[in-house]
Amino acid sequence: MKQFMTIMRKEFLEYWRNFSWIWVPVVFIFLSIMDPLTTYYMPIILDSVGGLPEGAVFEIPELPAPEVLMMSLSEISMFGVLIIILLTMGTIAGERKSGIAELVLVKPVKYPIYITAKWLAKIKLFLTAFIIGMLVSWYYVNLLFDTIPFTDWLLTVIFYSFWLVFVVSLTIFYSTLLKNPGLVAAVSVGTLIGMSIINSIFSHHLTWFPNSLSSHILELHKSGSIPSELWGTAFVTIVLSIGLLFLSFFTFQKKELA
Amino acid sequence: MELAEVGELLELLLPLFILQFILMIAALIAWVKTDQTKGPKWVWLLIIILANLVGPILFFIIGRRQD
Repeated sequence: MKQFMTIMRKEFLEYWRNFSWIWVPVVFIFLSIMDPLTTYYMPIILDSVGGLPEGAVFEIPELPAPEVLMMSLSEISMFGVLIIILLTMGTIAGERKSGIAELVLVKPVKYPIYITAKWLAKIKLFLTAFIIGMLVSWYYVNLLFDTIPFTDWLLTVIFYSFWLVFVVSLTIFYSTLLKNPGLVAAVSVGTLIGMSIINSIFSHHLTWFPNSLSSHILELHKSGSIPSELWGTAFVTIVLSIGLLFLSFFTFQKKELA
Repeated sequence: MELAEVGELLELLLPLFILQFILMIAALIAWVKTDQTKGPKWVWLLIIILANLVGPILFFIIGRRQD
């Protein structure tokens, strides 16, 4: 436990030193309010940019508030996930390359503790950023569109967090497997793209596939209660994340001994 | 566009400008503190200042040498 806290403190110190605690939340805020704002101001933007022929009438349908909140999520699932992967790719691979891993591991630090501490530190950073971003997005959606009940917002954030945890676990797993951080990022992105392709083809058969989290969350907003598919999907996502974490203990140990 | 509308628009966008400012300041401090960047250091200064929003993020992600 003491080792665990020490490694985590080291990680947090690093986040302070390279300003991650400042810029990651700021970027997540930007990502999550960009879409609500531009959607709201689209008529004004079109107006001032001009270029529309005289007399052209544009009917822009009023979007329901949950859809706008989901836009924030989709923005985060694109660029937010990309940032998460880019910041996580070096977790193990980069430390091994620069020799920090050896420095830490000559001390009697157990491998699972080393990896879990890093995993949890990353998750804490990204979830904090995600929650702050979604809070600001919620504020803007309430202001510009329609009110979204707090419980709905909370459930959205909680359930979507599992997806971010999954992304961190996947990237850390590849980070223990491969030596080159760039390769880790490429393979992680590739895996996620592959998963989304599988999801879009077999979505009717694989209702519990992690990629369908956000569509189930939208369902939650429409019906007002948690659909059973959402529980299932969240369960599968958590099991996969923990499985990947355990798998990375194994691969890390094997690499370390080799 | 009405003047009142413009005022309201600015009021709503003000937090964005503040955030962008914070991001740039953080990037500038980080820029001063790092000894080694990928590529020439002064180019990164231009990128941080001139490329709004994207510049500081790029600097944080790929600008600094970690080793």
